[in-house]
Amino acid sequence: MTAIIELDRLSFRYPGADRDTLRNVSLTIEEGDFVAVIGGNGSGKTTLCKTFNGLVPHYWAGEFAGEARVAGVDTYESTVAELSGLVGYVYQDFQNQLVRPRVRDEVEFGPVNFGMEDFAARGEEAMRTLGVDHLADRFVWQLSGGQAHLTALASVLSMRPRIIVVDEPVAEVDPAGAHALYERLTQLNRELGITVVVIEHHAQFITQYAKSVVLMDDGAPVWHLPAAEAAARADELAAHGIPAPQIIDACAAAGIEGAPRTVAEAATLLREAGVRPTGASSAGTDDAGEGEAAEQARPVVTASSLSHGYRTVAGDLMPVLHDVDLTVRAGDRIALVGGNGAGKSTLMRLLGGLQVPREGSIVLDGVDTRKASSSRLADHAAYLFQRPEQMFLKDSVRADVRLHPAGRGREDVDALVDHVLDRVRLTPLADRDGRTLSGGQQRRATLAIGLAMSPALMLADEPTASLDVASRDSVIAMLDELSGTIAAAVVATHDMHLVAEWATRVIVLERGRIVADLPPRELFADDALLAQARLVPPQIVALGRELGVEPLPLSVADWRDAVALSGTEALA
Amino acid sequence: MSRKTRDVLSVEWVKLELIRTAYATRGGLFAKMDARMVIGWYLMLAVAPWLTHNFTTILALFAITAVSAALARVGPLVLGLFLFGFLTDFLYAFLAAWMFGGDVNTAIALIEINLKLATVSLASIAAFVSLDPEKLSTGLLALGAPELLAFGVSYGYRMMPILFEEFGIVFTGLRLRSAPGARGFLGMRALWRWGTYAVQAFYPIFLNTAKSVRTTVESLETRGFTANQGRGLRIARLSIGGLDVAVVAVTVAAVAVAFGLGARWPLG
Repeated sequence: MTAIIELDRLSFRYPGADRDTLRNVSLTIEEGDFVAVIGGNGSGKTTLCKTFNGLVPHYWAGEFAGEARVAGVDTYESTVAELSGLVGYVYQDFQNQLVRPRVRDEVEFGPVNFGMEDFAARGEEAMRTLGVDHLADRFVWQLSGGQAHLTALASVLSMRPRIIVVDEPVAEVDPAGAHALYERLTQLNRELGITVVVIEHHAQFITQYAKSVVLMDDGAPVWHLPAAEAAARADELAAHGIPAPQIIDACAAAGIEGAPRTVAEAATLLREAGVRPTGASSAGTDDAGEGEAAEQARPVVTASSLSHGYRTVAGDLMPVLHDVDLTVRAGDRIALVGGNGAGKSTLMRLLGGLQVPREGSIVLDGVDTRKASSSRLADHAAYLFQRPEQMFLKDSVRADVRLHPAGRGREDVDALVDHVLDRVRLTPLADRDGRTLSGGQQRRATLAIGLAMSPALMLADEPTASLDVASRDSVIAMLDELSGTIAAAVVATHDMHLVAEWATRVIVLERGRIVADLPPRELFADDALLAQARLVPPQIVALGRELGVEPLPLSVADWRDAVALSGTEALA
Repeated sequence: MSRKTRDVLSVEWVKLELIRTAYATRGGLFAKMDARMVIGWYLMLAVAPWLTHNFTTILALFAITAVSAALARVGPLVLGLFLFGFLTDFLYAFLAAWMFGGDVNTAIALIEINLKLATVSLASIAAFVSLDPEKLSTGLLALGAPELLAFGVSYGYRMMPILFEEFGIVFTGLRLRSAPGARGFLGMRALWRWGTYAVQAFYPIFLNTAKSVRTTVESLETRGFTANQGRGLRIARLSIGGLDVAVVAVTVAAVAVAFGLGARWPLG
């Protein structure tokens, strides 16, 4: 194998910054490798990848020292345009990368710009390779997240690059879409020999797809190791903000050394070691208690024979929900799951009174949503939009949190705002614009906005999407703490960790119908249902099932309890 | 008061109508034509009314563009806005003539200018409703416009649905979270409040888009937009066919007839 990317003592400082973002980086990537670049926020991962295609130092003209060679070309001597034939870059916010109206134009854009006569053939080939040729004549704004992501990939593939860089593929698509993208990248890597570099936070994708791993810390690589060796260094990864996959934690909890890559491997390891956690874990009894309480609790929102749909650009009615009946009771923590287009967001908007259904009725906290304006209903239900910056309407987090209670003339508004900011631990950052915060802080700021509305019902659209694992866990923990304050919460999500660790009730939507309404443990035990809704349980749940643990562990904490319990039984 | 989902005259409807108009999704006669010919056709009808003071000719030209607008399948929103402007202009012409002591001739002169403007407006509506962004930008390129302008046009169209969506969400957020108030006489207070929200919505929208545009600009750079060697390839995609020639020929003939009618039976 030959080296395709060679960085030699490379340093880079952004204009106006007071320290180097990349510090003396020496790194070699072999042709045909599948590299995952990992590291905490601000470790220089993205800047590193932008040196490959010359954006650093040509577009971002900072202080550049050292040498970067890509396929033998010195990037400093070359240009971004020339390098774009070698390196394709797919952004984290890939939607903004699409600049042409239709998919075909988008994919042909690069080749046309470079005056390549065979642009049509190149476009066709790229679309076919990625299986998006049937979308060629769609407008880019009609695409789903996963389709848009593949289109962005096709648009760089049409340049026939030797290297493709993908920045955080999982951030803005659902897990099924992320797996599909990874499968395509693997195919490009295997069949066309394209070197793939991904920036990734999620240990499970790294162990499953990458061949080697580069760990970045504070602007320099700590090491570059084959994936298996990298996965074994769980403590080191955890220290850099990449918590180990749950199966590795599970093995550690049972006192077993080792780095299984899959659930099956972990199960084998545990069986061989004779670990059989079968005792009832404490979590199981809790659930039953909550279930009974829910029967008597007052309804917070009741939807009866709800049907809704939208007009399309072509003018016909696209039905989204069919005849949905749902009662959310006080104390419910509901996770709404289902693929893209299943109607999750629509159902939530209807429940919150943002829109009224075409048919059927909704009674929110005793008020018929048809009989009150959406701004009045905002006193009963808080709706948190999917992208946090859409909730930042003012120039500081404090002003945003204050907006609703102050407008309603609450007397204790200052005390309330202080209290809420304190609860989400954002008091020190309260005077900054929400957009300048990190992803996890932004989510917590939106939770604060919702809490300050003192709603009976909290509705949140994908509250853990595009967060790294550590921030995601902190948001889940916060949701957990806050549920005492609000009567009920409904969360639309693709995140099965959130479902397992937070929800008491899961509603599975498919094509606008509720196909199941059950506690998470029952959902994860039902293979047919999981397959139907294309859901993948978290590793710890899968491991629990593999080993026949009863009741299923929903979190690593549950697992630890189960292990501890069986341990004591064995001793007794 | 009872809320319900409306299919027309709602914010959602406005959004859909603008998208349908911008992307020429309704089809129509001119949508099948070459962009250069559509632009040429438009220029012809945009210039012709200004070459005459003959009322008959102007009425005939107006009729031609009205038929064109029908053939172009202009949507109800754009047509409605046009009619609103057209009728209020006429009303204004009469009021102005009457209040400032003018006579019938003043009114006719004002109507004439309004009719000319209406003719040009209808022609531009018919033309631009029929051009999707890609066609328009390639057409402009072929007519010698700078690459940046042509790209700007297609990118502007590309951004439009995104900005609508963003505006809708931010506006909803403001409406839900700001202080509610009374509707006021004829809903004036509510209308005023909505106006304020619409203005306030710009701050978050600008900041949110500024962030995303950075990615767009970088991506343009990496995909050779500034390398700019694709002009010839883009233009080579255009082709003028039988339909183009026929439409332009019929229009030329119709304009000639309009002038002929005016010479034969002059009005006013």
